Amino acid sequence: MRREHGLLLGYAAAVIAATLVHDPRALAAGLFILLLLAGRQAPALLWRAMRAVLIFNLAVSLGYLLLAGLRQMSPWDTLLLINLRVVVLTLLTFLFVARVNLFRALDFSRTLTYLLGLAYSQALSFQRAHGDFRLALVSRSPVRPRLRDRYRSSAAAAAWFIDKGLVAARETAQALRARGFFND
Amino acid sequence: MIELDGVSYRYNGSVALGELSLRVEPGEKAVLLGANGTGKSTLLKILAGLLAPTSGTYRYQGEAVDPKRLRNAARNRRFRREVALLFQNPDAMLFNPTVFDEIAFGPRQLGLKDVDDRVRRWAGALGVAAHLDRPPFGLSGGEKQKVALAALLVLEPELLLLDEPAAALDPRSTGWLVDFLADLPVTVLTSTHNLSLAPELGSRALVLGEDHGLIHDGPIEAFLADPERLVAANLVHIHRHRHGGLEHRHYHAHDWE
Repeated sequence: MRREHGLLLGYAAAVIAATLVHDPRALAAGLFILLLLAGRQAPALLWRAMRAVLIFNLAVSLGYLLLAGLRQMSPWDTLLLINLRVVVLTLLTFLFVARVNLFRALDFSRTLTYLLGLAYSQALSFQRAHGDFRLALVSRSPVRPRLRDRYRSSAAAAAWFIDKGLVAARETAQALRARGFFND
Repeated sequence: MIELDGVSYRYNGSVALGELSLRVEPGEKAVLLGANGTGKSTLLKILAGLLAPTSGTYRYQGEAVDPKRLRNAARNRRFRREVALLFQNPDAMLFNPTVFDEIAFGPRQLGLKDVDDRVRRWAGALGVAAHLDRPPFGLSGGEKQKVALAALLVLEPELLLLDEPAAALDPRSTGWLVDFLADLPVTVLTSTHNLSLAPELGSRALVLGEDHGLIHDGPIEAFLADPERLVAANLVHIHRHRHGGLEHRHYHAHDWE
């Protein structure tokens, strides 16, 4: 078995374990181990993971706080568990992607390699487009844009990405169908 | 107006721009030619002060420019008013609820008094006055390009940087753009890989090669008449032609594909 295949299995097992464990202390220990494994990349990866989950986790946590308040129960144990689990899973994924060549990890399956190629090319194209949206706002702003303008720019970018994503998904499905991927 | 001294740019460890040195004088209309991936967009973003060169110096009006220096509010205000970049993808530039608001964005930021007059004048000049109350997102690619251009020109910049401006335009709109730019009394640097269009956009060619360096800086006609350089720049290709019973091979460009 190649190193990348072993790491893929390890990653899959760690994801399942993080989903099944319900003790916050075990998840905290897992987070600590991941940070140790990340070494010098630990601060950057943890920061990326925190930023990636911030808005989603905040929305879920506030919703749960409201619900717990209405039902007069303590929310803290659950909130700690949910947030720790999401951070652990996100950091685990970022660490895996940073350390492992995904194309080599999935090369045992032609279909998975093909799907990864499609996803990767889409991600690169969206990354470039995201950079252009950001730079275009800077370029058009003689003075610092107001928060409202930043929101509008982000909303326009999000709408564009959704639209492009839908078109790309439709075309990808058609291309896969044309190449016989969905044949029984 | 523009001075580049040994400017290079690296991205993810790869060279995106070799060591470029060039000057552009006020009022010039120059064309930035190069095959896809040679660094045209990167160069325009450096000239717009959006990317910092990895090495070398970029000066605009004698003053060094990069994103760090543009954190100075007064410098940024002057530079952004004078230097405008039209992105290749006009969608990246449009985010306001109506075309009117889109064009009015810059003037409002600067607190100009004649916002309404400016917007209507430039919307009229660009042929988008009929869409002023519409959201820009539902317009065609060509219309979006014109709205984005109006949103830049409304500030009456001194240097206009255009990244493949004809890419989203049909032939009729492309003809209109060529005439419009020819009459525009500003310095214009336009990137394209369309050899048919290039001589219409300027008399001087700056050509980027596949090694991301400048392989020609001079009259565009001289470059277009030099097959060896066109081949070296990967701007022409060779394949078999059939004319009746005759078949032969030679270099040529398929610009409108």
